[in-house]
Amino acid sequence: MSYTLKGRLQSRLAALAAPLGAAYMISLTTREWWPVGLAAAMVAVVVALDLAYHPLLPYQPGWLALPLGLLELGLVMAVVLGLHVRAPLAVALGLFAAAWVCAQLLGQAVLPWWRLSYAEDGGELGRTGLALVAAVATLFVASAAVWYAQRPPIVHLASGVHRGPLVIDRSQRLVGDSGAVVVGGIVVRHSDVTISHVTVVGGENGIEVDEVDRVVLDHVTVLRPALDGIHVRRAAVRIHACFVDMRGAPFGQGIDISYAMDKGESVVKGCRVVGGQEGIVTHSAMSMLTHNRVESASLRGISMTEMSMGGIERNTVRAAKGVGILCGDHSMCEIQHNNVAGTRADAAGGDRTRAGFGIEVEYSSEAELSGNELGRNPAALGVFINSVIHWKR
Amino acid sequence: MTRVGIVGGGLAGFVAYLTLRRGGVEPDEIMVLAPESDPAAAWRRRAAAIRQTHMRSESNGHCLPTSFPGLAVRDARHRRSLVPLVRSVCDRYHPTVDEFLDHVEELRVRSDWSARVRRTRVEQVRVVDDGFELDGHGVFRHVLLATGHPGNAVPEKLRDDPRAVHAYEPHDYAASVCVVGAGLAAATEWVNAITAGSTVISVRRREPVRRPLNVPRPYLSRRGLATFQRLPAERRVALLRELLAPSYPPGREWDEPLARAAAESRFRVEAAVNGADQLICATGFLRGYRHDTLLRRLVDEQELATADRWIVLNPNSTVPALTNESRTLALSGVAGQWAFPAADTLMGARYSAHAFLRRCRTR
Repeated sequence: MSYTLKGRLQSRLAALAAPLGAAYMISLTTREWWPVGLAAAMVAVVVALDLAYHPLLPYQPGWLALPLGLLELGLVMAVVLGLHVRAPLAVALGLFAAAWVCAQLLGQAVLPWWRLSYAEDGGELGRTGLALVAAVATLFVASAAVWYAQRPPIVHLASGVHRGPLVIDRSQRLVGDSGAVVVGGIVVRHSDVTISHVTVVGGENGIEVDEVDRVVLDHVTVLRPALDGIHVRRAAVRIHACFVDMRGAPFGQGIDISYAMDKGESVVKGCRVVGGQEGIVTHSAMSMLTHNRVESASLRGISMTEMSMGGIERNTVRAAKGVGILCGDHSMCEIQHNNVAGTRADAAGGDRTRAGFGIEVEYSSEAELSGNELGRNPAALGVFINSVIHWKR
Repeated sequence: MTRVGIVGGGLAGFVAYLTLRRGGVEPDEIMVLAPESDPAAAWRRRAAAIRQTHMRSESNGHCLPTSFPGLAVRDARHRRSLVPLVRSVCDRYHPTVDEFLDHVEELRVRSDWSARVRRTRVEQVRVVDDGFELDGHGVFRHVLLATGHPGNAVPEKLRDDPRAVHAYEPHDYAASVCVVGAGLAAATEWVNAITAGSTVISVRRREPVRRPLNVPRPYLSRRGLATFQRLPAERRVALLRELLAPSYPPGREWDEPLARAAAESRFRVEAAVNGADQLICATGFLRGYRHDTLLRRLVDEQELATADRWIVLNPNSTVPALTNESRTLALSGVAGQWAFPAADTLMGARYSAHAFLRRCRTR
């Protein structure tokens, strides 16, 4: 087929109509934006490639659809990953495969059969093609408008002290003005909430997130809570550049993310945690803990435990008692490029697993290690009870 | 009322008829004026003469109004195999002549073509107010002239030579055969004569061009056509001459027998016809509207615009001076090359038929 540029684009959009429809149906059903993001990534990549193909391919034999399809798949996946479109891999591949099959069936059979002059028109679809372009453009513009309209409102927290606990039960972006302090904790009870530049003092937990989705904590400071600094249950969160001071709270954890294996990946990045039993801990959760600094934890610096999965990378752990970094209880961890020093042995109770290990892997857990600096600890590495480590070069 | 007249009952006329039917034109609105009622008769004679076994065209070289489903689909269904489809996707599917002719026959019977054919040879098209009068067969608002090739071309020098036969006339092969020409018919004759045990001398003015289709593929769609149709007349003539130069496809089926025969001194190229027992003129057809009585008279009487050997046409294959809001005169087949360089192929017949249907359907 010798496509004209218009014909190539119109035929492409015709082929994408069904997968786009499916993506929107998934989006409506799940009330998630990622299917629309995935569809937009597909359309953007293939339209850009069509513009590139046009001068290079004066004639496109049918078989070329296969290698071009693989190229398009690779680029779509790269864009999806690059833009952090949180699409499940199987769905993304399924949608792409459906689009490819549709394109072949339409281009090779349905359109040439339905439209008499399809081949000689170079793939152009006349008024139908224009309508298709308009429909797809309308669909995306409407989606963008809906997305824009649904963005959480920005709520400014004025500087000064606010009596808590502050309960957030609506989607919003809570932004603290300089010197904004909440005394008594914040409880997040709604999805799509972002809290930024707010200091929390006291409270049962400093910030509590329970069974909601898409919560972001950005540049928050938590001081002296009664229990945990940041307490997350049945939720995936993104925590960025926080400071949690647990001094004076001997039984709480700095950041505790638990029971969220089915909620997607949580990220804790660039935080500083001082004191507490465990600086950062996950139970049955998927998480990436990276570029954090944890000091003076009284039980363990960083723990990934109870069938958790994820990465512990480029963190600094200082003066933890017993264990610097733990991968425990049937967990699978990638522990890379961390710096653990000054861990202290915990002689109380005679527990040999608390002898001041820089990194410890225990109780049927599996860890992949590379590039960690563990020199200044009583013991660099401990592996206990059916656990396995892999050295990554 | 018979609104639509098709002059010529060959493959181009047949494709036009099937296209009109697919487009919703009723059978009793169409009359086909042709000397023979078998649309493949002329083509079959020529293919038989050169012992052609496979089509040069690919899966879409068929008479249906749409490019899909082509003969590869039909073949796949008959053989219960995906191989023809895979070959088609790779541009490697060439149906056999028998399959093509079977398909034409199947379509002929199914479309009730024979009932629409009035057996006559139209000699003159007269322009009247509401359309065109065709040799006393009535007035038609829309007329498609698909008169086909005007005759076989035989070089002047060989016209009276008793050894000479045209490739498209029935013939056998003598012990030594001189084949004049460099296109697909010539290549087929080289291999035929070698297979028959003859010694073959190829006489040609130029080295043969090797390409899969006679006209490069971009010129089969709007991509190349738009540029072609925008060219000024002089450049368009030059391009047409270049595109329509003789060629035959690359492939081992040609190269290997020729190489073997050359090694056995049974195939060679010479500059002029020599003392061979038989001269086969694989020199194609007479070229240009002047060789076609009907077209020549039409051009002369109506003072139609021409360029070199072609009648100047609109991009939709209609004759500009004789087509207006209410009537249509269009050319199909080889006479339509001004609009579509590959007009003498089945794709070309479809091209002009589609445009003709648009005129008939909306007026």
